[in-house]
Amino acid sequence: MTRLLDIRNASRRFGGVLAVNDVTAHVDEGELVGLIGPNGAGKTTLFNLISGFTPLSSGTVAFGGRPLAGLTTNQVARLGMSRTFQNLRVFPNMTVFDNVSVGAVGALPQGALGALFGGLSESGRQRSADISRRTWEALEAVGLTQVAGELAANLPYGQRKYLEIARALAMKPRFLILDEPAAGLNDTETRDLAAFIKRLHGQGLTVMLVEHDMTLVMGICQRILVLASGRKIADGTPDAIRNDPAVLEAYLGVDA
Amino acid sequence: MNVSDLTAPGQTPSGLTAPDRRRGWILPALVALAVFVALPAALAAFDRGYFYQIANLALIFVLLSASMHLVTGVAGLLHLGHAAFYGVGAYTAALMTSKLGLGFTVTLPASGLVAAAVAFLVALPTMRLVSIYFAVATLAIGQMLYLVMLNWVEFTKGPNGVIVTKGFELFGFGLSGRIAAYYTVAVVVTLCVVAIGRLSHSYYGNALRSIREDDQCADAMGVRTVRLKMEAFTLSAFFAGVAGALWAHMTGYISPGDFKFSESILILAMVVVGGLGSLPGAVIGALLLILLPEGLRGLGDFRNVMVGLVMFLSILLLPKGLLGEVSALGLVRRQFGAAWRRTAGGEGIGWR
Amino acid sequence: MIDPYYLQQLAIGLSLGMTYALMAIGFTLIFGVLNVVNFAHGEIYTLGAFAGLVVISATAPPVVAVIFAVLAAGALAGFSLERLAFKPFRRFTDEASLKSRAMRESTLLSSLAVSIVAREALELLFGSQMRSAPAEYLINTPVRVGPVILVTGDFIIFGVAAVMLVGLQYLLTRTRAGLAIRAVSNNPLGAKYVGIDTDRTIILTFVVGSMMGAAAGILMGLYYGAVFPAMGFVPGIKAFVAMVMGGLSSIPGAVICALILGVSESMATTFVSSGWSDMVAYGFLILTLVFFPNGLFGARRERV
Repeated sequence: MTRLLDIRNASRRFGGVLAVNDVTAHVDEGELVGLIGPNGAGKTTLFNLISGFTPLSSGTVAFGGRPLAGLTTNQVARLGMSRTFQNLRVFPNMTVFDNVSVGAVGALPQGALGALFGGLSESGRQRSADISRRTWEALEAVGLTQVAGELAANLPYGQRKYLEIARALAMKPRFLILDEPAAGLNDTETRDLAAFIKRLHGQGLTVMLVEHDMTLVMGICQRILVLASGRKIADGTPDAIRNDPAVLEAYLGVDA
Repeated sequence: MNVSDLTAPGQTPSGLTAPDRRRGWILPALVALAVFVALPAALAAFDRGYFYQIANLALIFVLLSASMHLVTGVAGLLHLGHAAFYGVGAYTAALMTSKLGLGFTVTLPASGLVAAAVAFLVALPTMRLVSIYFAVATLAIGQMLYLVMLNWVEFTKGPNGVIVTKGFELFGFGLSGRIAAYYTVAVVVTLCVVAIGRLSHSYYGNALRSIREDDQCADAMGVRTVRLKMEAFTLSAFFAGVAGALWAHMTGYISPGDFKFSESILILAMVVVGGLGSLPGAVIGALLLILLPEGLRGLGDFRNVMVGLVMFLSILLLPKGLLGEVSALGLVRRQFGAAWRRTAGGEGIGWR
Repeated sequence: MIDPYYLQQLAIGLSLGMTYALMAIGFTLIFGVLNVVNFAHGEIYTLGAFAGLVVISATAPPVVAVIFAVLAAGALAGFSLERLAFKPFRRFTDEASLKSRAMRESTLLSSLAVSIVAREALELLFGSQMRSAPAEYLINTPVRVGPVILVTGDFIIFGVAAVMLVGLQYLLTRTRAGLAIRAVSNNPLGAKYVGIDTDRTIILTFVVGSMMGAAAGILMGLYYGAVFPAMGFVPGIKAFVAMVMGGLSSIPGAVICALILGVSESMATTFVSSGWSDMVAYGFLILTLVFFPNGLFGARRERV
């Protein structure tokens, strides 16, 4: 299997706090991986290091064999890494269609000249058609075509979740990171979401779930990384994780 | 499970009606008819220079308002120094005419390009500022450009202003008659507004809107946020510069007072009153704030108070403006049928 | 020995800086400390000056009465400004909307609109030309101090600015009202939950800040002997620059930066020409925003 994401000795220091401490981990092409850890374990920081949002203090992160040091967030995104946000960040004053089209136009940029004169050339028309097709495909994948003309702000919470996923899918990513996708969903909705994620994975997409709630992750992930206090404390199958004493201590020892 | 179960059964997408190809051309045709036939005919019938002047002024402010719509309405960058770029364009045209003897054919594009170049240079350091800090930086930049117009007397003639010796012409063919001048202004403004329409009603425009809505999120979607903000700022200065050239050649005399802070606020008020993010709104706002004070001339200097009052009341009572973005986008989509044609239910949503 | 000419320029710069500081103190209280974008402070300053002028030309009262009239006008203007341009936009009281960009920008626009209405209304009432108070009220009698010449106004302005600065620091750090202001500024929702009347606190801040703005306006009017409707714009910008340079929420920082600004401008006037001196402030503003987003003294503050 090809290695898609390769994190080596990654550390990030905020003042005196090591939020991520010497983490080495990887994700292979085609995997469905979970990243879990108790609150404050450094999941979000690690996520931000991967997506180029926060620079590394030391170590390296490579995506598809390419080191990400010095790349901006949008450059990393255009390499094929797309994400959703923990606290839903749809574009409220844009329609569902337009929201999703931003993911497509991010991956297939249309410049000012393209907007002005694109209609006059075959390649320009092709570009618009491609963006449009990608947008519709992503909307179809999450089942939101019926509300394509609605304002995103008017969608119910559950649909906004899928809207975010559609926007990320419209980039045709190689790697999709979902940040706490189950937050705020009830059990039924979580089950539907789990089935949906499995289906995406079944279509060949590499997916990483970042969660602090274990149930969703344990149910569908092939492999799970566990962070606690900035360190990676375990890395294995759900069964192995479930019985790992270090994980039990991190989750129960702190809470109990 | 099927995710589309989330959609309530029988729900139809709002704002989408069956495509009506014929109706799609009625509004643009009416606007074109008004601008190029009815209005000039009315002007010719009255044949008063003053009316021509008002018509030209209104058109120029339509262009200024539309250019500000691009940067403030679509890309969401609150711009408090727009009039300065209008001034840069006007001074470029005036000085090229008075010092180099060049005509409108050259000065029109040159004004746009010089204004855009200046905007690009000042945008380089300031583009990373956010929200009100960007707004204040544009205020400072606008005032600095104004001070240059006012104080660099050897070059700009300072407070005395510059007399523009040539009217409109095209490749040496004079267009300085009243009706010819009106048509020149109308054609240039229409072309520019159509171009701004293409920019804001496209996937490019969607990318700009995403920056306005949430720039960090747009960044994570692969949108090159800083570059696009610079482009929007520079393009909008280009169109403001073109408006400046029109103004310079139309009035024959410009002075720094035409480009001071209150003019920037007037343009901003037009965009706000019309509805931020809405191009038809920006056009309506400009017409309203230019023509209404003219209609109320009897009230004397009340005009300026009215600008503030109209702006305040529209922020308070019509937060979305006269023609808000959402309805404006729906309108544009229907009128121009800007759809990537699609079978099921999605007619009229995409951009061409 | 320094050339007395430069000492004189330095003195002029410092007194100019004091005039900016006078304006910057009230401005920073509303804009920086309360964290509310107020573009109409310059018009409060102008209103203060006109209120003083009207009272003086109507009844020629003692100075104390003028001061009270101006402070009352400032308080009223601040109260009305808050009710008109800010209150209607605090429609929702959840955390996100209180800190949202949309609310900041709509209050920026609404205060801008109110300031236009106020300025143009003054222009309709009084005309745009400069007016002056009777000579006996002016505070520009020259006073020689060693090698330099100052005017009485310099001492008055220095005294008033010092009183304002100390009084405000006392108010903010030693009184319950000040505690409430700081709490509302930090976390409006939290302040509400612990029982602070946020609405009243915000009004109080506007009233206090605007009284200071109005006092600054009449002092400047008497100092320069000129009162006109557009007089608030440039000092408003200068006060804003001083506030940004000082790190937004620090009143002493704003005062120090106002002095730096004044001295720099007077040097610019000496070496270049007076027309260009405003360029200094705008240049400082851009440089500070770009290179020192936390102000010159590095006070930490969330950038909004």
